Amino acid sequence: MQITQEMSLIEKLHILTDAAKYDVACTSSGVDRGGNGKSMGNCLAPGVCHSFSSDGRCISLLKILFTNECIFNCSYCLNNCNNDVKRASFTPEEICTLTMEFYRRNYIEGLFLSSGILISPNYTMDLIYQTLYRLRHVHHFNGYIHVKAIPGADPVLVEQTGFLADRMSINLELPTSESLHRLAPYKSRKTILKPMRQIQNRIQQNKYALLEQNRGTLCRTVGHETGEVSSARNPQAPRFVPAGQSTQMIIGATPENDFQVMSVAEGLYQNFGLKRVFYSAFVNVTNNTNLPMLPQGPPLLREHRLYQADWLLRYYHFQVSELLSEERPDFNIYLDPKCDWALRHLECFPVEINQAEYRTLLRVPGIGYKSAQRILQARKHTALTFADLKKIGVVLKRALYFITCGGKMMYRTKLEEDYICRNLIGDRSQIPREIRQSSYQQLSLFDLGHV
Amino acid sequence: MHILICEHSIDGIFSGIYEAYARRYGHRNTELALSCNLNSYQLFCEYEEIPVAEAKSRKVSNTLRARFGSEVYSHLCEAISAYESPSARRRSIDKAEAVYKTVVLGLSLADGSKILDQLGNPYVNRVFQLSRSTFNEAHHLLGFLRFSELENGILFARIHPKNDVLALLADHFTDRLPLENFIIYDQVRKIAAVHKSGSNYMLAEVPNGADDYAKHYSDQELEYRRLWLAFFHSIAVEARKNLHLQGQNLPKRFRPDMVEFHSDSSDHPASLKL
Ligand code: SF4
Repeated sequence: MQITQEMSLIEKLHILTDAAKYDVACTSSGVDRGGNGKSMGNCLAPGVCHSFSSDGRCISLLKILFTNECIFNCSYCLNNCNNDVKRASFTPEEICTLTMEFYRRNYIEGLFLSSGILISPNYTMDLIYQTLYRLRHVHHFNGYIHVKAIPGADPVLVEQTGFLADRMSINLELPTSESLHRLAPYKSRKTILKPMRQIQNRIQQNKYALLEQNRGTLCRTVGHETGEVSSARNPQAPRFVPAGQSTQMIIGATPENDFQVMSVAEGLYQNFGLKRVFYSAFVNVTNNTNLPMLPQGPPLLREHRLYQADWLLRYYHFQVSELLSEERPDFNIYLDPKCDWALRHLECFPVEINQAEYRTLLRVPGIGYKSAQRILQARKHTALTFADLKKIGVVLKRALYFITCGGKMMYRTKLEEDYICRNLIGDRSQIPREIRQSSYQQLSLFDLGHV
Repeated sequence: MHILICEHSIDGIFSGIYEAYARRYGHRNTELALSCNLNSYQLFCEYEEIPVAEAKSRKVSNTLRARFGSEVYSHLCEAISAYESPSARRRSIDKAEAVYKTVVLGLSLADGSKILDQLGNPYVNRVFQLSRSTFNEAHHLLGFLRFSELENGILFARIHPKNDVLALLADHFTDRLPLENFIIYDQVRKIAAVHKSGSNYMLAEVPNGADDYAKHYSDQELEYRRLWLAFFHSIAVEARKNLHLQGQNLPKRFRPDMVEFHSDSSDHPASLKL
């Protein structure tokens, strides 16, 4: 702590950004909040990217740690107490100033504050709370805030902090409790899932309370239709984590297969009401012998397939058990999971674009959920042709094997697994350009052992 | 066929639509065309120039807002504000004509707010594509725009958008930064949105450019730029370095207006010493 007092702000920012960068979540999405005319800031539900760093990832929030001091020893983490790195801590006021000044210059959409564990989980959580309190009530910041809940912190502190934040997250870190025990001995499933459950319950209660309150306001305004304005000006109850909670799992540090990872994610969506699960391809920063060395670089293609599958769960009404099984526990690395599923269910195809219902359209490779909605709207007025589908945004080179328009397929083609599979794999867009072109991935495509 | 020639602006096209209705030639016998699109005249067509008439334009916009709702209305305006390259323009339906025929179709529906769902209709589809391109650029700029603090505390941003997105941006920042004095300057169109703390913004033409304005930064400005650059460079994960992906997500044309991509000035990262 002695040293950090003399450190310049820019040096602290450098250290505490560097230490925060492996957290993959950086979205500012999930809440719409207009400005209030009195303070600085508003929020847009789709989120806004302000820049892109040289790894191609979106920069939306000022993503920093409060401190990189830590009493824990998670072996995958640079900040663990056995590691010899330069340590630094911000003061709450420094974080507020950086956030306000970056925000008004439109560098950022808000703050993402995480932290190593200084002295104790409670001590750290309280510092985070103090910072958010200042930011909201002294600096009147009305923009987006994503904050980490510290595992093991007092539920009261977690709750108070949640009323100041838009999103909260607690990282699950690893898919199974054995792995967690091995690599992060001071953490446990219990200290992670308990606050996650608490946040979930509180979000629910808060929603009901707001509903009740709105109903109250409504009755009163109706009762006073001619009446004074004052009765309608009912102060809004504070909102608790309105953009929901998220979590992150590290992929490739431990031996879990895709089936295990996706089943955990599905459980989190269904039982904990999470908004997002993030997957972070493991980067070996500590050179710890307990951990894989990954000379080919982080498993980016595997991470990409997991994100695609995650989309299928959240937007396309798929279940993990439809995509993977004990016998077939990993995704085909060469195909996106939806194409892969379609190939193994050719009995469901082809589907007629002008008749199929929404959920059926969603399952066609090359038709995204937006295109599916546009198809439903557009076909009310006219029978759609392949040319129309193209305008709507359907990727025909993928979809053509699986659809008919007015009873006809686009070309004469065989509805046969090997044939379609060969054609789909021949399409280079199966592996996204950013991964094909990333110099670190060239070897690992064929070395991941997932095929 | 009667071809009504109108100016390339919201008022210009709305005036054209007003006249197309007022003249009662029948919509099937009437077309709108932008003056900038007319290279050759066709036989058997009568051409008329329609002057911009604000009062008529306002009547049209009131009707459209009432019948279509504000969302569809703003899509129509975004479509009109959209930029098209000359070659794209030659290949597709005239923009004024697409808006006009979309309006005609929409007003024939019981519920005009559904008009943009008819993507099978070529005019509607064209309006949809145009508005999407404006919307996308505006959404990019909500994030990529950079303010610098001038000596007098005013925040100043310079943009070079393809589409006419200034009003969309000014709306957003008026809501976000209500207490700041700021100027957003569209250097392509030489128009500025000027916002005074606590009030709404105004659009002003700046024919002589804004360079005189934006010369002197505040003392703090360079300090915060240095901090931002330190953050920008530290946040990248070296093991995932991928300039192609960066280029795909952040097209080069936006970069000259973003401080983190300036390479010539004294605040370049290379000159940053920790
Ligand atoms: S708790 Fe573990 S993951 Fe978090 S900073 Fe400390 S060592 Fe790193």
